[in-house]
Amino acid sequence: MTDTYDVSEDEPAHECRYCGRPFAREEWLALHRGLDHPAQLDDEEVAAFRAAHDAEESALGNFRLRALGALVVIYFCLLMIYALV
Amino acid sequence: MTTRRRRVAGWLVGAVSLLLAAGTVAAHGGSLAGGGRESITVPTWLFLSTGGAAVGASFLLASFVTDRSFIDRIHDWGTPLTVSDSPLPGLFARSVGLAGYVTVLAIGFLGPTTPRTNLAILLVWVGWWAGLAMTTYLVGNTWRALNPLDTIALVLPSLNRRYPSRAGAWPSVVGLLALIWLEVVSPLADDPQLLATAVVGYSALTLSGAVVFGRETWFAEADPVERVFRYYGRVAPIGYDDRGLRLRLPGMDLSTPRLVDGRDEVAFVVALLWGTTFDGLVTTPTWRDTTMPLVAAGVPPQLLYPLALAAGFGLFLGAYWFAVSLSRRVATTYLDVDTLAERFAPPLLAIAAGYHLAHYLGYFLVLAPALWVALLSPLSDPGAVPIYEPPGWFAGVGIAAVVLGHLVAIWVAHAAAYDAFPSRLQAIRSQYPFIAVMVFYTMTSLWVISRPEVALPYL
Repeated sequence: MTDTYDVSEDEPAHECRYCGRPFAREEWLALHRGLDHPAQLDDEEVAAFRAAHDAEESALGNFRLRALGALVVIYFCLLMIYALV
Repeated sequence: MTTRRRRVAGWLVGAVSLLLAAGTVAAHGGSLAGGGRESITVPTWLFLSTGGAAVGASFLLASFVTDRSFIDRIHDWGTPLTVSDSPLPGLFARSVGLAGYVTVLAIGFLGPTTPRTNLAILLVWVGWWAGLAMTTYLVGNTWRALNPLDTIALVLPSLNRRYPSRAGAWPSVVGLLALIWLEVVSPLADDPQLLATAVVGYSALTLSGAVVFGRETWFAEADPVERVFRYYGRVAPIGYDDRGLRLRLPGMDLSTPRLVDGRDEVAFVVALLWGTTFDGLVTTPTWRDTTMPLVAAGVPPQLLYPLALAAGFGLFLGAYWFAVSLSRRVATTYLDVDTLAERFAPPLLAIAAGYHLAHYLGYFLVLAPALWVALLSPLSDPGAVPIYEPPGWFAGVGIAAVVLGHLVAIWVAHAAAYDAFPSRLQAIRSQYPFIAVMVFYTMTSLWVISRPEVALPYL
């Protein structure tokens, strides 16, 4: 991979010490380390990955509920419009 | 597990609403395939919003799949296919391609002059541009093996000049737009001699390019036709990857990083998508009504078509790049814009393939018997040719192709986003602008196909 990065000076950057990829948030760095360099992590990084992963799971749960709500709204709006038009 | 139950429930509701959304589109806009457009019974704005909503709903549906290993399993699924070492299949393909090429030139200049009985016209438009292109994204790319100009270039000397790396794929972008323009404004599908002349012109250009820069470089970089087939081939289930020839699920190859490399290749993907739309746009009454005052005011009509082609391409490309920069901001990523643009351009190929299938499957089926008859007696003019009449439900196939192309595109973009971003919510967020652009492309194309078809003005 030869992805290129574009980080401006005033933005926070958490760089991966294995591949150098910068992230805007520390928990994204923790997730990245667990996903892309799973064999190289020390105990602290493994714990950080677990914590970030759990937090992500519960955030995803929230997102799913909202997405479900959006689907239902789209469905009923179309249903109503087709009934009226 | 409540999460699991919630997920399953989400899936069910999502699937039902999507089916309903797709069903309503099929019921009311079922005029895409088969050439003739009929007027739609629901108001246009509703037809368009339903199409847009179907795309949005499928995105929400895809976002329910958050299991990385599941996505990886789907994308890695496949079986290696054995490739025979024998040179015979390659030789056979080359001779078939060459025979087709010679036929087009010979029959184009010498054969019957009615388009529907002329083998050159039928072979190019029905056999090649509709039929072969469809097999390219449905099965696999065979043009690489068939390409007669590649075969001819084999025996030509090469000057092996260095191909300017700055030019990249730009010549093929310009070439593709030029071919679309030529196809729209000239009676290439009606005049066999003109078609054969155009083939000669294109061959001369291609072969001189191959002589100057080397055969492989020219066809890999600058030739638009080769590139169209190569890109369509990436949607296909059979294709080459780093492990050799493989059978995969259709479209899954599109999530591979670095499939599209550089702004030039992104532009080519968008040009491919815009080409199908432009083809339909110029036959709408709106096009006629907008251009009439312009021509009355003294704008030469010959200039109008290339200008509109370029402007629309700019608009489509601009919308895509705008989505890229927006996506970068929404996802708060430090990946630069080029990386993001290259990552999320390949899914658009699935949409382009879906539109191509919707436009050309009916055309191909209707004229395939005529092609067969012309193939049996290329020099005599049978007068009347057999035409296949597709059944009434066939119109739904076109809509299904469009919807399917979008589903594949959304899924592939979803997988590419999961590959690019460590956080899954970040990946989902990164897709918002692209989904908006996809909705824009869909609604544009649906609007074009919902207009009645009129003759090209001023030509």
